[in-house]
Amino acid sequence: MVWSRKFICTRMTASRTTPICSLPARVTRVDHVCREHVIVTAESDQLPPSQPGQFLQLQCRDTLATDPSIHAWGPQTWPRLNLLDQTGPPILLRRPFSIADRADDGTANRFSVISRAIGPGTRWLDRLEAGMELNVTGPLGRGYALPDPDQTALLVGGGVGIPPLLYLARTLHERGHRDVRVLFGVQTHDLLPVRLSDDLPTNGHATPCLRLPGEASFPALVATDDGSAGFAGRVTDALRALHALEGDRWRRPVICTCGPEPMLKAVAAASRAMGSDCQVCLERFMGCGLGTCLSCVVRVHAPDQEKGWRWALSCQEGPVFERDRVLDYDG
Amino acid sequence: MTASDPRLQVRLGRRTLRNPVLTASGTCGYGPEYDHLLDYGQLGGFTTKSVTRHERPGNEPQRVAEVPGGLLNAIGLANVGLERFLAEKVPFIETMPTEVLVNVAGYTIEDYVVVCEAVDRVECLAGIELNVSCPNVSDGLMFGTDPGLLKEVVSAVRAVVTRGTLLVKLSPNVTDIASLARAAVEGGADGLSLINTYVGLSIDVERRRPVLANVTGGLSGPAILPLALYNVHRVYREVCADRGIPILGMGGIQNARDAVAFLLAGASAVAIGTALFVDPTAPVKIAEGIAAYLDQHGFASVSELRGQLQL
Ligand SMILES: Cc1cc2nc3c(=O)[nH]c(=O)nc-3n(C[C@H](O)[C@H](O)[C@H](O)COP(=O)(O)OP(=O)(O)OC[C@H]3O[C@@H](n4cnc5c(N)ncnc54)[C@H](O)[C@@H]3O)c2cc1C
Ligand SMILES: Cc1cc2nc3c(=O)[nH]c(=O)nc-3n(C[C@H](O)[C@H](O)[C@H](O)COP(=O)(O)O)c2cc1C
Ligand code: FES
Repeated sequence: MVWSRKFICTRMTASRTTPICSLPARVTRVDHVCREHVIVTAESDQLPPSQPGQFLQLQCRDTLATDPSIHAWGPQTWPRLNLLDQTGPPILLRRPFSIADRADDGTANRFSVISRAIGPGTRWLDRLEAGMELNVTGPLGRGYALPDPDQTALLVGGGVGIPPLLYLARTLHERGHRDVRVLFGVQTHDLLPVRLSDDLPTNGHATPCLRLPGEASFPALVATDDGSAGFAGRVTDALRALHALEGDRWRRPVICTCGPEPMLKAVAAASRAMGSDCQVCLERFMGCGLGTCLSCVVRVHAPDQEKGWRWALSCQEGPVFERDRVLDYDG
Repeated sequence: MTASDPRLQVRLGRRTLRNPVLTASGTCGYGPEYDHLLDYGQLGGFTTKSVTRHERPGNEPQRVAEVPGGLLNAIGLANVGLERFLAEKVPFIETMPTEVLVNVAGYTIEDYVVVCEAVDRVECLAGIELNVSCPNVSDGLMFGTDPGLLKEVVSAVRAVVTRGTLLVKLSPNVTDIASLARAAVEGGADGLSLINTYVGLSIDVERRRPVLANVTGGLSGPAILPLALYNVHRVYREVCADRGIPILGMGGIQNARDAVAFLLAGASAVAIGTALFVDPTAPVKIAEGIAAYLDQHGFASVSELRGQLQL
């Protein structure tokens, strides 16, 4: 993982701030970290404070082409598309991406997202270059409730669910959280969107480690479905194995997870068996991210309703939910 | 040059709007959602999500899909219902510094009458946009496709809407939209909203299933812009121009250029829907762009643009 050491602490806010819409940001770095995945780092001077688990809505197309005002009229002001926009179908809606990193210094807010190229919008991100403009709305949604510093935090990520957990790990480190364990599951070794350090451990952890700025590192366990790296098997199997090995040393373990739906359900079940709390980050289709299109609904328990449940907008009440609030996750 | 430029003022039915750019129903919630993002003091008007007599949970997901140049949606008229609308949503609307239209949908004439009567009594609401065209709910379609029935429901509603403006929002999923426009006007509409979404279907060929849980959905966004323009152009010439009935034009508007095209085709004002999902401030930027167009082309006011399409 490319954590720049220039970054200083991100201020944490207890409550959510108002998002900003259509903020132009400048891409400062593009890192093709592994097959199909790109880390895009950008900066602006106005991105409101964010929390791990919150997301950004990125306009995966040239903003010149879509300026609603067109102030100066005449042929010379017809929008000029850059090359990226001539290579695929037009992309209408913004695309949601978890914040993978965030750091502010005096003048700039720097953030990154990690995208896996699976369609036109994510392919557009994949072709970005440093110096280009990225138009951002956010930060949006409700992130992870941060565990107490004396709790054992288990960050369990699968595939494109890994990015928000990197930001969470960084935040926990900054808050002085010592017992953080990271479990990442991917299909195969070259789809892991993180560079793990195999340095000699500095704080007694077994390698490999997820290195964070400063001297901190958290033990990281990687599971691959095909056994090409780390633990051979599913991340939930790795979680159970780890729990059997050293679970009695964990203090009030809390699990924060994000990944594909079947994995989340398996993690929720495993967390219940372990007797730990669990927060799941659900990646539903999102049309707006702003609470108006009503596309991102999730069934949550609602004892006051006749049927016992109601639809919750995952862009407003989520994407992170407490396990037992969500139908299908509550066992 | 601002969205409050006096040259931008227009009449829409019984009300005067600050500028000709409104938000479209179902794309801006009930107001609080875009508070702090969109300055309502710069907006010509605001249209709420459809309100029905009883609360509706809406359809199963997936409810929305992106298709080439547009959006397919089958939300299923999810809304809080009349009672909660009045109790929970109106207090915020009261604070909004813009004209607020309430979009009303129903399944029987009585449903429409009950909701419209209650809404008309609320002083801070500028009027009603009657949704007779939502393609998502099986029997919602019929009011908007049968001229006789349409005239009946509009007359019944007109009898109870004595204070506010009454717009009727037509469905484009008909063979002869002019006959429905005529029926709405004869029923007593102050103006027409054109258009609601087109019925469409998106198929996931890998799974051999429809993308939307509801199977079909309503198509919006740039893909429908030329179709919407044609409907406005036709209804303006065949029904509205002579009678002085205003049209609120919508369908795929993304920028000031698109908005001016609707005004030239005969719309008095325009509404922005899908484009809000990308940028909630789009209506303000579009109003500013229209003011710039007036400057460049030497028009003294925006109403001079109406129907100025040169054939
Ligand atoms: C809160 C949230 C956070 C996310 N964070 C990340 C992230 O950090 N990194 C990352 O690579 N991806 C993330 N995603 C998924 C990402 O938004 C989709 O991959 C992206 O929208 C696909 O756009 P596209 O144009 O490339 O492909 P499309 O052609 O739009 O879609 C390709 C495929 O992806 C599916 N898809 C589309 N939108 C979504 C969606 N919102 N969620 C899940 N699947 C979708 C489609 O059904 C289709 O099968 C996140 C999604 C959500 C809701
Ligand atoms: C997600 C979504 C929800 C909508 N909900 C409603 C609704 O509740 N009532 C209604 O009359 N129109 C509804 N519409 C239609 C819009 O108000 C508008 O007529 C249509 O989308 C065309 O404009 P656009 O292309 O600018 O979006 C909805 C449209 C979308 C995209
Ligand atoms: S994404 Fe539009 S309401 Fe949640």
